[in-house]
Amino acid sequence: MSGALPGGPAGEPAPLLAGEGLALQPARSALARSGEAAARMAAERKAQPSGIWGMALFLCAETMLFVGVIGSYFYLDFRVEHWPPVGVKLPEVLDPSVLTAVLVLTSVPMALAARRARAGALRATVWLIALAAFVQCGYLAFQLHQFVAEAHTLHPQASAYASAYFTLLGLHHAHVLLGILFDLGLLFWLRTGLSDYRITGVRAVALYWHVINVIAVAVLITEISPSL
Amino acid sequence: MGAALAPPAREQVARLDRVWKERTGLLGWLTTTDHKRIGLMYFFTTLAFFAAGGTEALLMRTQLIGPNQKLLTPEAYDQLFTMHGITMIFLVVIPMTTGAFGNYLIPLMIGARDMAFPRMNAVSFWVFLGSGIFLYIALATGQAPNAGWFDYVPLASKQYDPGLNIDFYGYGLIFNGISSTAAAINIVVTIFKLRAPGMSLNRMPLFCFAFLAAAFSLIFALPSLTLACLFLELDRQLGFHFYDVAFGGDPLLWQNLFWIFGHPEVYIIILPAFGIATSIIPTFVHRRMVLFPLVALAELLVAFLGFGVWVHHMFAVGLATEVTIYFAAASMIIVIPSAIQIFSWITTILTGTPEFTTPLLWIIGFIVFFIAGGLSGITLAAIPFDQQVNASYYVVAHFHFVIFGGAVFPILGGMYYWFPKVTGRMYHERVGQLSFWLSFVGTWVTFFPMHIVGIDGMPRRIYTYVASTGWGALNALESIGAYVLASGLLLVIVNLAVSLFKGERVGADPWEGDTLEWSTSSPPPAYNYAVIPTVTSAYPMWDERDRRRDQERLEGGRGVLARGHETPASTVQDAELDEVLGMPPYSMWPPLFALVLFVGFVMLLLAHYLIAAGVAGALAAVLLAWHAREPHQAPLDSTGAAPPPLAREAAS
Repeated sequence: MSGALPGGPAGEPAPLLAGEGLALQPARSALARSGEAAARMAAERKAQPSGIWGMALFLCAETMLFVGVIGSYFYLDFRVEHWPPVGVKLPEVLDPSVLTAVLVLTSVPMALAARRARAGALRATVWLIALAAFVQCGYLAFQLHQFVAEAHTLHPQASAYASAYFTLLGLHHAHVLLGILFDLGLLFWLRTGLSDYRITGVRAVALYWHVINVIAVAVLITEISPSL
Repeated sequence: MGAALAPPAREQVARLDRVWKERTGLLGWLTTTDHKRIGLMYFFTTLAFFAAGGTEALLMRTQLIGPNQKLLTPEAYDQLFTMHGITMIFLVVIPMTTGAFGNYLIPLMIGARDMAFPRMNAVSFWVFLGSGIFLYIALATGQAPNAGWFDYVPLASKQYDPGLNIDFYGYGLIFNGISSTAAAINIVVTIFKLRAPGMSLNRMPLFCFAFLAAAFSLIFALPSLTLACLFLELDRQLGFHFYDVAFGGDPLLWQNLFWIFGHPEVYIIILPAFGIATSIIPTFVHRRMVLFPLVALAELLVAFLGFGVWVHHMFAVGLATEVTIYFAAASMIIVIPSAIQIFSWITTILTGTPEFTTPLLWIIGFIVFFIAGGLSGITLAAIPFDQQVNASYYVVAHFHFVIFGGAVFPILGGMYYWFPKVTGRMYHERVGQLSFWLSFVGTWVTFFPMHIVGIDGMPRRIYTYVASTGWGALNALESIGAYVLASGLLLVIVNLAVSLFKGERVGADPWEGDTLEWSTSSPPPAYNYAVIPTVTSAYPMWDERDRRRDQERLEGGRGVLARGHETPASTVQDAELDEVLGMPPYSMWPPLFALVLFVGFVMLLLAHYLIAAGVAGALAAVLLAWHAREPHQAPLDSTGAAPPPLAREAAS
């Protein structure tokens, strides 16, 4: 298919009768019935598939959401003299830093999963996603436990600081939860094997995690900024 | 056309008809993923909301026709002006442009068979419909949002507005934003991926550039509004303190977040209008656009600069002079890309051979209002003057010139221009021109005197005024203008509705238009193009050789992409043919998804958080099931038989 558009002689537009080839070329995803065949076809593609573009643009919106919430945090910070307010203990540094480092490391199995998927290796893909999902679940469980515990001492209704703190973390946890749901969805969908469509799915979810993990670092720096 | 086809071609076209056939009747509309049908549903829904928003405006104008009128209570008036603003922006202009025009026309213009994500496209529509119903439930139950469309805190806080009114606003706009974001992502990916072979970016119609710019703005601007509304609801429902000074919050945070969205929003509204103008002008002046590349860049630049000027909505709140001066200067810079476009439109018209038919008249009206509104915009970017007329009718006059005259006129012109394409019939030209002149005069008479009463000190959003202010005569004139305008708009609808049944039948290309949509039949078949067109310039319909070749390929039965429910995809920049995509056919999931989401937002509104969490779980289950089957696996077998019954799809 990629060879369907030979360049024409200079000055002439390329012979765009590619349409004649089109009729003979079924949709790539429909042809590839095995993982290897799907991988071969995915590799022939010149541009990124639509699914990757869609996820990338969705992540632009999500990034803007976090730009907004982190911006709001510092906006409120700079407007008051005491941030956090007097009497509120400074945020922990070590625990969230370690947890965030663990979360960020899950980008490695996700990136490998995307690579293995593109090579058509179903088993490796599934196990790498499962590994990442396992660690991410552990991260979220830890974080939620602390979130609830902190909500009992530092009430989000107590001050604008507490409101911003809990909203920032809550939004991030929600995005981690969404990512875990994506992982579980992939594991469910991959039961029937790899196809061009599923390879794009794995790559898109890996992209989601990479961006969420970068955001995690920004959220961490914001969260612990009063203690720095 | 059919008669000239060789037997293999006739068979291929018949096969395409079978493969792309959707369900019939009401179920067909409910489950459709055809961008044209979704576009039409968007169109009629936004038209209904346009009627609602217009009625609200006429009620307000009737109330203000003379001093001390008692038609509306102050509470009702508050709800009406708020709903008028929300309706016209979120339920009319954005869905009318991105939803109706974008959906219907972009795939046709770029030579594709559908949007990049057909089912997400349906989701956009159903979620939009849900959010509109959600907001109008508020009005029907007498608890509509009542703090103005920009909903400033602390007026909008629980303390001063304890009812559900503002909660409808907060959740309604988050709900609506989901639809707009999905639609915007779809537009960008469609434009990037599905252009016909040969339509490199520099050969893409300016219409698509304008929609691309608007879609990017939506993706980047909407999260700010979503966040502002989220904070608002956390404050209102859970007692958080983002906007509460007493606990270290700041009401200006709302204003900043709102206008970081709100100013790009202004360009989201006007950019599609630019796109429509640049489609209509070349057709009716019979020449190519002057400065094509500069106009394309100007469209993108307007969208980009729109993110750096939001504080000019806040000159009167007492910010530091250094800050306001920066934003005043930034706002002035917008003049440059705007002027490039205005001069390009005018020069194209003057150097062409214009045919003053109805669509071109609307565009000329648009240019007049855009210049007039742009000039008052420059005065508003001057800080001392802005502080003088802030929150007065001068501002109302300015933004109605640019939004009504600027954005809605091209929409109306576009309705006339593409009416023959969508229906296969021609509208009534004389009545069309009459509707334009009524609306044009009505718009001037309604909104021009507002400049004067505004400078005279009449504040916006007051429900009445006393006779001694001396505003009575001009207000009466404005109200009369509003009735004239309404009659003009009514005439547009009557003209198109009657022409739908009685209009003269027309062929594929009644205007000798310049872009690809005119090459397919009117109305287009479900698959848009039997032979995927190839493109060698930005005015493909004027490249007779290319179109003749397409026709020869069709007649010879060569190069008809007829194997299945498929469309080609090309590379982003050069539009080299890259692959053939299997497109999902009709689906029951999108309306189901929107319905579940609607229930979720109602639960949030009523503060039933646990139920809302359960609904979120249901939503995840819907998405899981939806994607269990790959799009191309769905109904089509190798013989291209009609899709199987819905039950199989729903059961999977």
